[in-house]
Amino acid sequence: MDKSLNKVLKLGIFIIVGTILFIAGVYFIGEKQNMFGNTYNIYAVFNNINGLKPGNNVRYSGINVGTVKEIVMVSDTVIVVKIAIVKEITKHIKTDAKCAITSDGLVGSMIINILPGHKSEMNIAKGDTIRSFTRIRTEEMLQTLSVTNENAALLTGELLAITKEISAGKGIVGSMLKDTLLTKDLREIVHHLKITSKASSSTINQLNKILTSIDKKDNLVGMLRDTSVANKVKNIITNVEKSSRELDKVIDHLDLTIHNANQTITNVKDGKGAINYLSNDPSLVTKIDQTIGHLDSTVIQINNAGEKLNENLEALKNTWLLRKYFKNQEKEKEGN
Amino acid sequence: MYLYVTTSGLNSFFIETGELANFALRFFKEVFKRPFEFKEFLRQCYNMGNRSLLLVGVTGFIIGLVFTLQSRPKMIELGAVAWLPSMVSISIIREIGPIITALICAGRIGSGIGAELGAMRVTEQIDAMDVSGTNPFKFLVVTRILATTLMIPILVIMSDAVALFGSFLIENFKGDVSFTLYFDEVFRALTYSDLIPSTIKTFFFGFAIGLVGCYKGYYCKHGTAGVGLTANAAVVEASMVVFIIDFASVLITDIFYSI
Repeated sequence: MDKSLNKVLKLGIFIIVGTILFIAGVYFIGEKQNMFGNTYNIYAVFNNINGLKPGNNVRYSGINVGTVKEIVMVSDTVIVVKIAIVKEITKHIKTDAKCAITSDGLVGSMIINILPGHKSEMNIAKGDTIRSFTRIRTEEMLQTLSVTNENAALLTGELLAITKEISAGKGIVGSMLKDTLLTKDLREIVHHLKITSKASSSTINQLNKILTSIDKKDNLVGMLRDTSVANKVKNIITNVEKSSRELDKVIDHLDLTIHNANQTITNVKDGKGAINYLSNDPSLVTKIDQTIGHLDSTVIQINNAGEKLNENLEALKNTWLLRKYFKNQEKEKEGN
Repeated sequence: MYLYVTTSGLNSFFIETGELANFALRFFKEVFKRPFEFKEFLRQCYNMGNRSLLLVGVTGFIIGLVFTLQSRPKMIELGAVAWLPSMVSISIIREIGPIITALICAGRIGSGIGAELGAMRVTEQIDAMDVSGTNPFKFLVVTRILATTLMIPILVIMSDAVALFGSFLIENFKGDVSFTLYFDEVFRALTYSDLIPSTIKTFFFGFAIGLVGCYKGYYCKHGTAGVGLTANAAVVEASMVVFIIDFASVLITDIFYSI
């Protein structure tokens, strides 16, 4: 190959490689800004764009899906942002999606963050306007912080005053810190509380045991928890109720009877009958004693007379006139 | 005496500026006139482009490596190591790549042109060409200025690419960053406002290097000793003009792109 031709070839390669690198650079930069892809333009309206610029990224669920194309200020509170979104992504963005201008990292450039919508079934279309919301800006946060700081300063001042009073031993807290007697009392209270809590603990344990045993059926409460036993008890109570009603009736009768008896007794007391005489006359007892004495002597005499009569009868049995009669009587007795 | 020297220095500065402007004007007059010295133009392109590629490539590669190595610890300290590709790419594409390449070319090409044309001038070759009917300005100056104007931008693009690759190697070794991720970050950070103005200004850099080199060589004086001075002055003045153009380009870019 001719030497000069070789040089020209090398030069051609050099120029072409350089040009390709430049075109590749232009293409890749353009591609990142969605200049060559198939994009849809959609719109978002803000009242403050916080330094957003054309070319800033647009993210949907954390993925770069487009770029800011144009920013138009319609009025003092309405700023329309034209967004170029990759066509393939539009089928995933619903019409109820919302967008906000946020910062890409702590000190990064501003981006538009589209938050997915869920309720709508419709996908966004070319030229649609999606809803937007404004996040709290740094100045607003600082304003709030300023108010918080003022409140904190007031609180600190008051706390300082309280601390001084406490240090001086004023009030309950101050007394607690400064008064040694109170401290001693408090320690004693705490000591007693400990003892009480120990006792309470053991009591609770016992109560727990009792409550546990109640669940078992080997005791009275456990039996009562049994439904069959409960039914029986119910029947018993019903019967007791019936019995009590009967008893009421009996008591009523008894009351009547007692009333009648009282009347009778009153009558007996007031009257002059045999009973009144028997119960109230003391001479009657003496008379009766005398009569019983007479009766005793009479009975003795009768017994003596009976013995004498028996002797007479024995003598009659042995007499020939009445011997036959007594024999016949003995025979009849034996026959029965 | 001092006033005279100062006045003399200022006068010579303005005179030289005026002569340089005339020289440029003459270039624009000659560039569209026939005959076109195409072969000489291609030869100059080869000499200035291909032969400077190794020097420019190695410089760019080292700049990419060093810049990333130097920036990386501070970026780690700031917790912004993920921004390193963005930072390096913007720095290289906007400023470091063009200015370093232009300065290297000012040194290599500017001095080469100054020395070559100066030697031709002092050996009266230029006069001989004029006498023989060949337009020396068209043959020597126009071809060289055109070659530098067109080759410097390509050298800058290649230098940028190699510098970014060098930066990627450091990120890959130190931070396990993949090629795709690194260049994705690079192109995400770059915009046309970074690439286009910086590429346009490299044409001016190339034009300035060629113009100053040719001017200095074309009007070389004081014999062979003047050739060395001419080469030296070509490098110094070309570098100065490059910086002035860079400053002007940044101002103009700021007007159009609000960087």
